[in-house]
Amino acid sequence: MSRRHELRTLLRGALRPPENDSAFLLDVHRRAVPRERMAHYDDSFSVDLVIVGAGAGGGTLAQRLARRGWKVVVLESGPFWDPDQDWVSDEAGSHRLYWTDDRVTGGSDPVELGKNNCGHGVGGSMVHYAGYCPRFHPSDFEVRSRDGVGEDWPIRYWDLKRHYERLELELPVAGDYWPWGDPHRYPHTPHPIAGGAETARGGARKLGIEMRVGPVGITNGAFGNRPHCIYRGYCLQGCKVNAKASPLVTHIPDAIDHGAEIRAHCMATEVVLDDATGRVTGVRYIHGSEERFQRAEAVAVAGYSIETPRLLLNSTSRRFPHGLANNNDQVGRCVMVQGAPQVAGRFPDEMRMYKAPPPEISSEQFYETDPERGFARGFSIQTVGPLPIEHAQHVLGHGHWGPALREYMRDYNHWYTLGVLSELLPLPDNRVTIAHGETDGNGIPVARMDYSQCDNDRKNIAFAKQTLHDIFEAAGAQDVLVTDRYAHLVGGCRMGTDPDRSVVDADHRAWEVPNLFVADGSVMPTQGSANPAITIMALSCRLAERLDLKRLDARAHRQQSRRLRAPVPSRSSAG
Amino acid sequence: MADKGRDFRLADHLPNLRPDRRPASPDELPRQRNGVTPQMHGRYPDYNVLEEADHWDEVTRRLVLERLEKVPPIRFFTHGEARTLGVFCDLVMAQDREPKIPVLNIVDAKLFAGQLDGFRYADMPDDRETWRRLALGLDAAARQHGAGDFAGGAAEDVQTRVVDALAKGKLHGEVWDELPPDKTWKVVSRAILSAFYSHPWAWNEIGFGGPAYPRGYARLGVGQRESWERAAAFERDPVKDTEQRGVRGT
Repeated sequence: MSRRHELRTLLRGALRPPENDSAFLLDVHRRAVPRERMAHYDDSFSVDLVIVGAGAGGGTLAQRLARRGWKVVVLESGPFWDPDQDWVSDEAGSHRLYWTDDRVTGGSDPVELGKNNCGHGVGGSMVHYAGYCPRFHPSDFEVRSRDGVGEDWPIRYWDLKRHYERLELELPVAGDYWPWGDPHRYPHTPHPIAGGAETARGGARKLGIEMRVGPVGITNGAFGNRPHCIYRGYCLQGCKVNAKASPLVTHIPDAIDHGAEIRAHCMATEVVLDDATGRVTGVRYIHGSEERFQRAEAVAVAGYSIETPRLLLNSTSRRFPHGLANNNDQVGRCVMVQGAPQVAGRFPDEMRMYKAPPPEISSEQFYETDPERGFARGFSIQTVGPLPIEHAQHVLGHGHWGPALREYMRDYNHWYTLGVLSELLPLPDNRVTIAHGETDGNGIPVARMDYSQCDNDRKNIAFAKQTLHDIFEAAGAQDVLVTDRYAHLVGGCRMGTDPDRSVVDADHRAWEVPNLFVADGSVMPTQGSANPAITIMALSCRLAERLDLKRLDARAHRQQSRRLRAPVPSRSSAG
Repeated sequence: MADKGRDFRLADHLPNLRPDRRPASPDELPRQRNGVTPQMHGRYPDYNVLEEADHWDEVTRRLVLERLEKVPPIRFFTHGEARTLGVFCDLVMAQDREPKIPVLNIVDAKLFAGQLDGFRYADMPDDRETWRRLALGLDAAARQHGAGDFAGGAAEDVQTRVVDALAKGKLHGEVWDELPPDKTWKVVSRAILSAFYSHPWAWNEIGFGGPAYPRGYARLGVGQRESWERAAAFERDPVKDTEQRGVRGT
């Protein structure tokens, strides 16, 4: 095993992951995904599967099923990004990467949306995620049985393990040997770390806290036609280098090569149900100012934890007057965010934390429940490397404005920042609903998200913050600044074993609609203290396998009906 | 203190560590010698990020240089609102003299274009309306202190008290009975900070490397600098340094 790993490490970028040529299909001289040969399906042609959303869930699912010969159309509300032309090395200039349509945020601890956790365009939020790709721990799938909180998943870690392994080769993930959860190695060796991370790691070590390098979905060395990371620090602004993994570069090129169509600028407005059969027949969407309808044999919604519930809730019919698959009133419930307070520390030497990717080192030593801490579940510790605007918000969040804010900002180069991800628990009243009487530019009712913390959540966040404080103190920080925030989004259409308390079953299939699937982070019953991206991808990877197995019996029926319709997809040369 | 300079290895200039929790005066810093910083405070007196513009990718370069070359006119706010909010933005960013980053113009342009941030608090109006009501609310708060209005009639310490109360979420009466001050502060400060710290003059002031594609960074260690990054004030003799590098003062 170890010899094999050494060999793989040596060959890393030259090794092609099984059944995914994305990195090798990219162009050497430009960053945009080649799509001259992309298939174009007619709206009236009933494709095998229409996927709503081209992010971590939808992008991965499209690639897997296209590989298996499915005719797949992905409807993406945002643009098909060209990193060379559309993205900039600039914080404020990256505004368009975020989901900025109208939404309402409420509850006693409202969550900031947009830039903080919502993506837009092909690649989804992974276009502007930091790049951390940790696996969930085995315990995450059974927190109700182990810790008496949250909910057990209908699947186990071991159901996802080989999908994690496969994705770690495809992204690829770089990092140290990982001792936490189910111990494992990563295909790419750890990246070099900058001075600030080195200093923070030293402080942690003094307290007996171990921090390790990675795991990040950033190539260490060239990988196919994706070049080496250049450590410019703008991971959250979209990687212009193509070094950081997002479905745009890790799965979409291969999906296109195998006949999937990624249709950008298409805002889904309704999943249409045939009241007579109880099956969905396709998706209504707006392209430009035109309303269109894509027919499909099955529909997978992958719009993430706010847009997925919104689309279902907006899809009403005689059978489902309160929203598709929502007769049990579960759609939108148990939406979750992670508590993500950050602490910045000041050092005598310059740290210049804008260099190197923000995700450098992390620790999962506090991931599991420790009864002595006085709360269930735990948190992880990560580096965050904020750029000036983000750091200014941190300073202001601590309570400084005016001359004090300016003074702290002039001192920017002496600071380094750590953050945590606290596992907050799923609560039924934390919910996505439709905002009463409000519509977006297309006239579609907008989503409202309500969020309130429970006592366990507050204790977790307070303990985690204190831990960061202690690390900086041990590292010799002269001053610290603390700010509260949230990160990530999951839940809202959770999978489960009980049709009354979940939206989809263990195969992501809506309990009440046989050909409707949910394929994104909203199916997660709990969230762990891990960044969700690679788990969302792993779930889609598993789902694709399950769907393909099930299709065998569906196929006979389908081929009969197709003969009546017959139009063949045109493989046009238009880009 | 200005004579012997400061030692930035120490942190005694930082508000948290000072007995009055107020920062040292930035006037103790040298004047910026190369390029422009807001108010010309020279913590990195010889660093001008714009000298690196040739190394940036073209899309980024166009975007950043436009912030300098094209100051957008005020189109969203009325004349009266702009007067009040201009004073407010200057207080929040401590811009007490020229050269100033045109914060309100940048905010105005975003609001005029309807470029919002993707969420609205349930108990708050649209961000555009929040800004308009803030203008009314600042005047109302100033009147509570016996001043005529916020921009013209209030003494500076009244203005400071009003902004401080807003930052602490402690404004009451009139507009503020319907508009939560804590969330108003979040909404408007987010826009102000984004406008100020996206401006290359602010990058000069804080010694930030700026755009780094396609060049990237190579020297990542503690205390290391790229060849083009510059030292903070008092780390080297300014006279010798400017002579050596042929930099002309402003």
